Amino acid sequence: MAMKALDIYKHLPKTNCKKCGYPTCLAFAMKLAVGKAEVEACPDLDPDTKSLLGGVTRPPVRLVTIGAGERSIAVGEEFVLFRHEKTFYHPPGIMVQVSDTWPEDEVRSVVETVKETVVQRVGQDLVVNGVAVKYESNRPERFAATVALAGGGSTLPLVLIASDPAAFEAGLAVAGHYRPLVHAATEENWEGLAALTKRYGCPLAVRAAGPAELASLAGKCAEAGTPDLVLDPAPSSLAGFIATATEIRRSAIGRTEPALGYPLYLDAGAFGKTDAALAAGILKYAGIIVTPPLASASREAALTLRQNIYTDPQKPIQVTPGIYPINEPGPDAPILLTVNFSLTYFTLLGYLEASRIPCYLFIADTEGLSVLTAVAGGKLTETLVADSLKKFGVADLVDHRLLVIPGYAAPLSGKIEDATGWKVLVGPRDAADLPGYLEKEWKA
Amino acid sequence: MTEQSDEGLTIREVRLGATREEGGTREVSYVIGGERDLPFSGDGAGRPLVALEICDDPRFWPPVVRDYVGDLANDTAEWARAAERTYGADLVRLNFTSTKQRGFDAFDAIAATTEEVLAATARPLIVEGSNEPELDSEVFRRCGEAGEGERLLLGTAEADRYRSVAAAALAYGHAVIAQSPIDVNLAKQLNILLRETGVPQDRIVIDPYAGALGYGFEYSYSVMERIRLAALSGDADLAMPMICAPTDTLSVREVREAAPADQEAMAVAWEFYTAYAAIVAGASIVCVRHPLTVERLKAALEG
Repeated sequence: MAMKALDIYKHLPKTNCKKCGYPTCLAFAMKLAVGKAEVEACPDLDPDTKSLLGGVTRPPVRLVTIGAGERSIAVGEEFVLFRHEKTFYHPPGIMVQVSDTWPEDEVRSVVETVKETVVQRVGQDLVVNGVAVKYESNRPERFAATVALAGGGSTLPLVLIASDPAAFEAGLAVAGHYRPLVHAATEENWEGLAALTKRYGCPLAVRAAGPAELASLAGKCAEAGTPDLVLDPAPSSLAGFIATATEIRRSAIGRTEPALGYPLYLDAGAFGKTDAALAAGILKYAGIIVTPPLASASREAALTLRQNIYTDPQKPIQVTPGIYPINEPGPDAPILLTVNFSLTYFTLLGYLEASRIPCYLFIADTEGLSVLTAVAGGKLTETLVADSLKKFGVADLVDHRLLVIPGYAAPLSGKIEDATGWKVLVGPRDAADLPGYLEKEWKA
Repeated sequence: MTEQSDEGLTIREVRLGATREEGGTREVSYVIGGERDLPFSGDGAGRPLVALEICDDPRFWPPVVRDYVGDLANDTAEWARAAERTYGADLVRLNFTSTKQRGFDAFDAIAATTEEVLAATARPLIVEGSNEPELDSEVFRRCGEAGEGERLLLGTAEADRYRSVAAAALAYGHAVIAQSPIDVNLAKQLNILLRETGVPQDRIVIDPYAGALGYGFEYSYSVMERIRLAALSGDADLAMPMICAPTDTLSVREVREAAPADQEAMAVAWEFYTAYAAIVAGASIVCVRHPLTVERLKAALEG
């Protein structure tokens, strides 16, 4: 199990020399305890202590980087089994698979789609991450050409999927310096592949059915000098993947089997139900998901699910406070007060846009709390409303002084009138009822 | 209670529907629950059930579904029949959207529609009663009575409006959907309230309220995981099977604003990812509205 900061502190020199970059040994111990510092940073530890502390302070799932440059991805470094226990940090890389038997145009089109498609949601840009090239031609030079066609790894992170050492030699000659993931070392071929990936400094996927077999294989490859590993449990069904992935993640975070402390690999095309596999991989611990090319609907839903699941549960996504014009409002349009909880904002936005009623959404900074909790917790107050009205220059936008407030903020209506001088109208509690309310009640 | 120590580690079994031997007219009845572990992790449960939602007033239904089902939307019983026979749903969830219209008073139609849908279907039925608190007692009485002996799953009980649905369930022998807003403690509280009203615990299905994918679904997902974990570690008041019905899924911007040629695919993808993730989090019943999603989910759950 992980060590607490104070237990770690006992093993440190307690000189507060600052050479590790932290002001005191205790501060360093606290960083170590949460996996945010490396034992190596301390110059005064003997090797035994280093290996003792290294074993208990490194992240339970190793951070593995695939690719180079802007689009490179880092997966792993996770600490919990369920997102509500803390959060999930590193969303799985989704890699679209092409074959070296495909016509060039087809490969090029898939690569372009991966490169260019961006889904924008809640202020974030969501992308499919990279390309997986599968060796099916039996001609190493053809494999190398397809790898080159996929950008050679210089723009998008790559996965090279093969079993023939000659294919890997040819592929790595093209892409080896851009950290492609090599898939996969097995009980039969691991020695050659470990040597090859060590030479290029590439991450290596190891494939074996079952946690014990994976741990043994991963141990041997790490020993041979390839520290950046990814585990492919070779599942025979999707349910099998979920069960095995859960077992592996549990062993890793419980530190019962350090050789399982690596990100997981899932071939989402293996079961003839790609959407389900993508969802399962996102939800249950995959670090790298290889998928057949996706239709736009599947891509958008999968990326949205990944965004949802990797949102920090303690820090809801917030919207920047301010004034948001909707449906091209004029000076007689209603001003609708709400909070900067993103879910509230997007729900309102959906109904208001569909209603085609011109209006201004006036978003106060409640630190991401919903209306109900912001009112109850004193984050939404008459002072905040008055200050925000001024700050966003709301009075200059409209020629009336009417403010529609959310139904759940009704208890504040009198205070808001007193503090702002605006007349307050109490709107409905439910966003769905807002268009109907405005049609009936709104007259500037 | 000492009895919970062992029993609490298993999700309670809830029976839906009644065959002739069980006092109803269904060709099959289902037992949901019974899990002793996380979903997909070994023993216990049968396959999760996929419910297709239909309604009695299609004006309040997503256009993308109306376009697909065409005239069926105007014949509730035929729609229900197609849900089972054509679209392959494990069961139908009948929504009385007619109660949304102003001044609704067609209570006789509630009873008649319930009877027609029961006659048109062979499997257990979920009935979603009124949308207005002031209509609750009459609507639940009528559909409860019309389905007497059929062990319907009646919805929806909430913390401030559970008496009517509980009364109908008790009087006519149905199970109840207990919905609380994305919170473990509120879910537990409502189950206790229902128990105190006399609803047996093996007739409660938890609905933790599901937001649509991209619109707060992550909260629902985590609450479902937490409810399941609490149940497995012995909390008997949370050891009920769960149902997931993210009702806003087909009105999110991604579906509404998709290009006409993509709209159907987007609707199905959005429902599929939401429902499948709910199953991974522990749902025993997932409710969807687009017929094509049913087929996709059932294929995904096989093998």
